[in-house]
Amino acid sequence: MNEKQKTCHDTDMDRTRRNLLKLAGPFALLLACPAYALDLFKILDPKGGSKDIQRAKNIFEGVGSIAASATDLDYKSEFAIGESLALEGFQRYGLPAKNQTVQKYVNTIGNAVVRNSMRSDIPYYFVVVENNIYNAFACPGGIIFVSSALLKSMNNEAELACVLAHEVAHVGHKHALQSIKRAKFFEGVGKISTANMQGEKGKKFQSMIGDLQSVLFDQGLDKDMEFEADLSGMEIAYQTGYNPEGFIQVLDMLKQKEKTAVKKGSWFSTHPPLSERIVKCDQVMGKYPDAASLAVVSKRFIEYRKLL
Amino acid sequence: MKILYFLSLFGFFIASVAFTADNIPSAVWVSSDKAQLKTDLKASSPTIAELPKGTRLSVLAFEKKWYQVGLSNGRTGWIYRGKVSEAEVEKTEKAKEGGSIGGLLGELSGSSIRADNTDSSRSIRGLSPEAAEYAAQKGTPQVYRSELDKVIARKVSPEEIDRFLQQGKIGEYQE
Repeated sequence: MNEKQKTCHDTDMDRTRRNLLKLAGPFALLLACPAYALDLFKILDPKGGSKDIQRAKNIFEGVGSIAASATDLDYKSEFAIGESLALEGFQRYGLPAKNQTVQKYVNTIGNAVVRNSMRSDIPYYFVVVENNIYNAFACPGGIIFVSSALLKSMNNEAELACVLAHEVAHVGHKHALQSIKRAKFFEGVGKISTANMQGEKGKKFQSMIGDLQSVLFDQGLDKDMEFEADLSGMEIAYQTGYNPEGFIQVLDMLKQKEKTAVKKGSWFSTHPPLSERIVKCDQVMGKYPDAASLAVVSKRFIEYRKLL
Repeated sequence: MKILYFLSLFGFFIASVAFTADNIPSAVWVSSDKAQLKTDLKASSPTIAELPKGTRLSVLAFEKKWYQVGLSNGRTGWIYRGKVSEAEVEKTEKAKEGGSIGGLLGELSGSSIRADNTDSSRSIRGLSPEAAEYAAQKGTPQVYRSELDKVIARKVSPEEIDRFLQQGKIGEYQE
């Protein structure tokens, strides 16, 4: 190697070294948080056409088994999150209503609407809890709560079917999971098992369930998620054969009770303003010209409601 | 003359609206579980097949909330409007495996109930080990664990759902 070649070689080496140093910082940062790295690769190369980016992505995927986000979790892991949240739900909203006939009734309506939902390939469980707060919420994996107060304030089966369909739609769209997709627990975790729930990881899992409680029980999901669930729920109820206007009737009823009802931990505090939702739902009723001819089922509903 | 002109325009408008209302899609996709293809446009008529989600069906006619559909083997049947979507629906694994409608019919006619993930998941009883671990770490009182256990153990069979819908005259059971 002559002097000129050596100088060129040194310059190339310096440039490479400088570039590597520039990349070291972000690389270390991404290594510390691989879930962000995988999202970043998706943005940089959404179609997966770049071989270099794919190669880099493979390196990051090799850092343990990583779920790119909570929404990519397998069903079993999602359900474990849902069950843990449901345990907290009972502590916050009370135990299930004792009457098993009512529980069976609500479960049957719920499972009837599930057939027409976007995610009908998982089992769903519906439970009525004894509580004076107007509320309903869905845990990831398909455990759905409805308060006895909300149920008692309804007038027919179509209204109940629409509320259950709204919650089923949240599960279908994986809305709750989206709210915890950046949880620290998921760093280096692809599947939830008792093995990765020990020590520090166990604390991170508990913290994640705590965050989910804050979202579902207090602050509420993103407004757009609620609107999406409103419209999907009406569609599901319509496909099942119930009048989708039942949902608007529930919103109207809640609006009437809004002034005097307990707000904390209820549909009033965790959902967008009722008047806004009513307008949006009214707008889609044009899609259902035969809605008035569909099932409402008041008599049977009132008979079961009396049992609460 | 002007009146005649506007009347003919109005007539054309009405005719086009009527045409749009009658305009039925050329194909629909099964969008519901337990979607049954019937010999006639009523739920009590005999079942030809139970079609998996995502199955494409050619539309021949639409009457009283029921689509008359044609299958690739030349057979025709009726399916309730609520069981199908005009937008394409992603096929379930079963629909993908079944391939042709002919194949689906062979497999699904009679008392066919899908043995997919749903059914196997539904056989799980009690809290998962992960939820039990969470409860142990948090010191969740036993009463809440037992109640959740009962909720998860509660089952509703497809037959119970059909009977319930029939009694309430809901969906395809509406008279």
